[in-house]
Amino acid sequence: MLVLALQGAPPRQAPLPDRATLLAQANDALQRGNRAEAKQLLGKAAERYQSVRALLQLARLEAADGRTAEAMRALTAARALAPNAEEVLVAFAGLSLRVHAPVPAILALESLTRMYPSEPRHAYLLGVGLMTAGDVPAAIDVLRKANTLEPDRPLTLLALGLAYNNQKLFTDSRPLLRRALDLDPASVETLAALSEAEAGEGDMIAAERDASRAMTRDPSNATANFVVGMVRMSQQRYAEARDALITAAAADPRSPKAEYQLSLVYARMGDPASSDRHLNQYREKLRALEATLEALHDTGSGGVIK
Amino acid sequence: MKRRWAFAGLTPLALASALAAQAPAAPELLFRDITASSGVAFRHHAALEKKYIVESMSGGVALFDYDNDGLPDIYFVDSLTVETASDSRAARSALYRNLGGGRFEDVTDKAGVGHPGWGMGVCTADIDGDGWEDLYVTALGGSRLYRNNHDGTFADVTSASGAGVQGWAAGCAFGDYDKDGKLDLFVSRYVKIDLAHLPEFGKDKTCEYRGIAVQCGPRGLAGETDFLFHNEGSAKFTDVSEKAGVRDPRGYFGLGVVWFDANADGWPDLYVANDSTPNFLYLNQKDGTFKESAFPWGVAVSEDGAEQGSMGVALGDYDHSGRLSLLVTNFSEEYNALYHAEADHFTDVSFRSRTAAISLPFVGWGVAFLDYDNDTWPDFIVINGHVYPQLDRVRLGASAGYRQRKLLYRNTGDGRFEEVAAKYGAVLTDERVGRGLAIGDLDNDGRIDVVINDLDGAPQVLHNEFVARGNWLLVALKGKAPNTSAVGAEITVTTPVGRQTAIVCSGSSYISQNDKRQHFGLGSADAATEILVKWPDGTTTRRTAVKANQIVTLNQLEAAR
Repeated sequence: MLVLALQGAPPRQAPLPDRATLLAQANDALQRGNRAEAKQLLGKAAERYQSVRALLQLARLEAADGRTAEAMRALTAARALAPNAEEVLVAFAGLSLRVHAPVPAILALESLTRMYPSEPRHAYLLGVGLMTAGDVPAAIDVLRKANTLEPDRPLTLLALGLAYNNQKLFTDSRPLLRRALDLDPASVETLAALSEAEAGEGDMIAAERDASRAMTRDPSNATANFVVGMVRMSQQRYAEARDALITAAAADPRSPKAEYQLSLVYARMGDPASSDRHLNQYREKLRALEATLEALHDTGSGGVIK
Repeated sequence: MKRRWAFAGLTPLALASALAAQAPAAPELLFRDITASSGVAFRHHAALEKKYIVESMSGGVALFDYDNDGLPDIYFVDSLTVETASDSRAARSALYRNLGGGRFEDVTDKAGVGHPGWGMGVCTADIDGDGWEDLYVTALGGSRLYRNNHDGTFADVTSASGAGVQGWAAGCAFGDYDKDGKLDLFVSRYVKIDLAHLPEFGKDKTCEYRGIAVQCGPRGLAGETDFLFHNEGSAKFTDVSEKAGVRDPRGYFGLGVVWFDANADGWPDLYVANDSTPNFLYLNQKDGTFKESAFPWGVAVSEDGAEQGSMGVALGDYDHSGRLSLLVTNFSEEYNALYHAEADHFTDVSFRSRTAAISLPFVGWGVAFLDYDNDTWPDFIVINGHVYPQLDRVRLGASAGYRQRKLLYRNTGDGRFEEVAAKYGAVLTDERVGRGLAIGDLDNDGRIDVVINDLDGAPQVLHNEFVARGNWLLVALKGKAPNTSAVGAEITVTTPVGRQTAIVCSGSSYISQNDKRQHFGLGSADAATEILVKWPDGTTTRRTAVKANQIVTLNQLEAAR
C-alpha cells in the first residue's frame, strides 16, 4: 500500500460539471464556432447524465455536418431514453426521411399522430413519409387531414398536390397547387408540380410554360424536366425529350418513371441497346420501390398493398 | 323564429316551376334494359363473400350466330364456387337463340353447352371451315371446345381436338398467325390454384386491401403459363406455345386477349392483358414465332411505368387514322389506358384524350368501341365492379364501392372523349358488378346493342333505342374456307366525313366475344363512297357507292367487283 502511495496516486480528474453547465459550455463553444468542442461536451452530457436534450442537440449538429450515421446514433439513443418524447420522435422521423428511410420515419410519425391528433405538422410529415415509401393512397388520407387541421399551409398543399399527381388525380391537384403557388410564388417545386398536373389534364401549353418557368429557376428540377420530356415526346421531338428525361432521372434517382420513358424515347430513336438499358434500370427501381412498400407493410404500418 | 322561405314572394306554383327548372333534365333514352322481357333468365353464380380469387373473375359473354339465321345469339358463361366446386352441374352456362324482336329462347340443353364446368371466358370462330361458328369456353379445371353440328347442337370435341387447357384458363381468341388459312387458338391463363389448398382469406399482406381482410391474389400467388394451339385441320390442334415464344414462362396473370396486325405488316400480332404484371404485345415474326415487344411499343405498363391490373382489351380506329388503337381496362386507382396507334409504336393518350381521370375509382372489365349514335366516331363503353365485397363495409380512398356504374364515353371527334353515362340514366348509372361485355346489333336495326354478364346474378341485355342517330352500315363477311369467319379481315368504310377501319376479331373485351359483323355509323351520309375489305390472305374486295342503312354481306369467293 505504501509503495503504491509513494508511487503516487493517479492524478485526480477534475469533477465533471453538472448537466446544465455542460450544455451551457456546449452552447458557448458553438457560439465561438468550435463545433468539435460543442459536440464533445454534448457527448459528455449525454453519457454522464443521460441527457435527451444533449443527444438531440448533438444529432442536430451531426446532421448539419452531413454525418447522418452519427446523428442517427444520437437519436436512437435519445429514443431509448425517451421513447414517447415528441421532440425526439419528430427529430428521428425528420432524419429518417432525410436519409431515405421512410419506414422507421412512418412508425415514429404514426406514434406522434396518435398522441397528438390535432397537430397538423405531424400529419404532414407522416403524409410525406408515406409518399416517400410509395404508399400514396394512405398519404393522401393523412395529408387531407393535415390540410384540414391547418388550411392554406403551402407545404401541405404542395405535398397533397404531389400525392394527387402521383395518383393521376389531376383535377384534384391543380387547384391545390395553384393555391400553394399563390401563397408561395417562389416555390419551384410547386410550379413544377402544377406543370405536371396541367400536362396530366392535357393542357400541354400551360404545362410547358410552367415547367419552363420552373426550369429557369432550377434547371435540374426532376418534375419540370419530366414534364418537358413528356411534352417533347408528344411532339415527337425525341432528342429533346431524351435530354430532359435524363436530367429528370438524375435528379430523382429512385423514381422508375423517367427511366421507363427513357426506354421509350430510345426505342423511338432506333437505339434498342439504350432502350434496354433504361428498361433494366426502370425494373430495378420499380423492384426497389416495391421492396420499400413491402417493408412498410411488414412493420404493420397501416399502409396499402393491393 | 321560423325559417323564412328562401323563395319569399313566389307562389307555390311559381316555386314549383322554379325548382323544376333547376332539376336535372330527364335522362335521354339510349339503351333500354330489355332483359326481363327478352326471355333471358340466366343467372351467374357467385359466392356472396368472394373469399377466394377464383370466385371473382368469371364470366364472359359471346354474341355469335350459331344457327346462321342472320341474328346474333347469346352465350353466357357461368361459374362454380368453392362451395359447389365438386358439382359441375351447380353452374349452368346458357345459350340463347335470338328469335328477333328482342326475344330469346333458352336452347342450352338442346345445344349441349350448359356445363363446361367452372366457366370463365368464351370466344368463337369457325375452326373447321364448315361455315358454322364453333365455341370455345375457358374454365378453371379444363376448358372446352364445342364443335357446331349444324343442327342446333354442339359436340364436345375437347379431347379429340387437343385444344383442352387444364389449370385456370381465362381469355381466348382465334387467329391465323401463320396465314395457312386455318384459325389457331391462343388461351391465356391466370393464377395457379389448387382448390384443395386455397390461400386463406385475409391471411397475409397479399390478402389485405387497405388494412381489411380480402381474398388473396393475384399478387403473391403463382401465375400460369399461356397456350398457343396451331390448327392442323379437321379440328385438330397442336400446342406450339414454347416454339412460338408465347408460353409466358414467368406466369404473368393473363386475362383479355386479342389478335390484330399492330405493325401493319400483314401478319396477326397478339396482345395479352395481364393482371398486376406487364401486358404482352407479341409481334409476329412471320416464321411461326413471336417477339414480345410491349415495352418498346409502349403498351406494357402505365405512362409512369406502373404495372397495372389489366383485365379487358378493345380495338378501335377512334380517330379515323386507319390504325387500330388499344383500350385496356384496369384496376381501381389505376386508369383505363388508351394507347393510340402510331406507325411503329403506341402512345399512351389516356389523359390527353380525357378518358383516364374519371376511370380511376373503378375496376374496369368488359370494354368495347361502339358508335352508339352512328355519328361516324367510335365511342366506347366500360363496365365496372370491384372484386372485394368487403369494400362496402369501409369506403376507402379513391376507390368506388363493390358495385360500380358503367362508363360511356362519347367521341368528340378531336381525339378526345366526354363521359356521358349520366345523361342516359339508370341503365348506365345503376351500380352493378360487371364482368364480360359483348356488342352487336341484336335486331339488325343499325343500332349497336350491348350484352353484359354480371358476376352477381342477372345479366343485362341493353337494346339501343337512340333516336337522333345517323345512318349506318353493318358489314358481314364470309371468308374463304377454312376461315369462313373472316377473322383478321380489315374493313375500311369511306364516307365524305372520313375513313373508318375495323377488324373482325375473335375474343377481346373481357374474356368475351363480340358479334363479328362490323357496324359503321355513317352520320348524315346516305351512302358509303367505298367499302374495302382486306382479307386475311391479303386479297381485297371493294364495293363503291353502297347505300346506307343496310346489312352488306361480302363473300370472299365472289369475284372482286
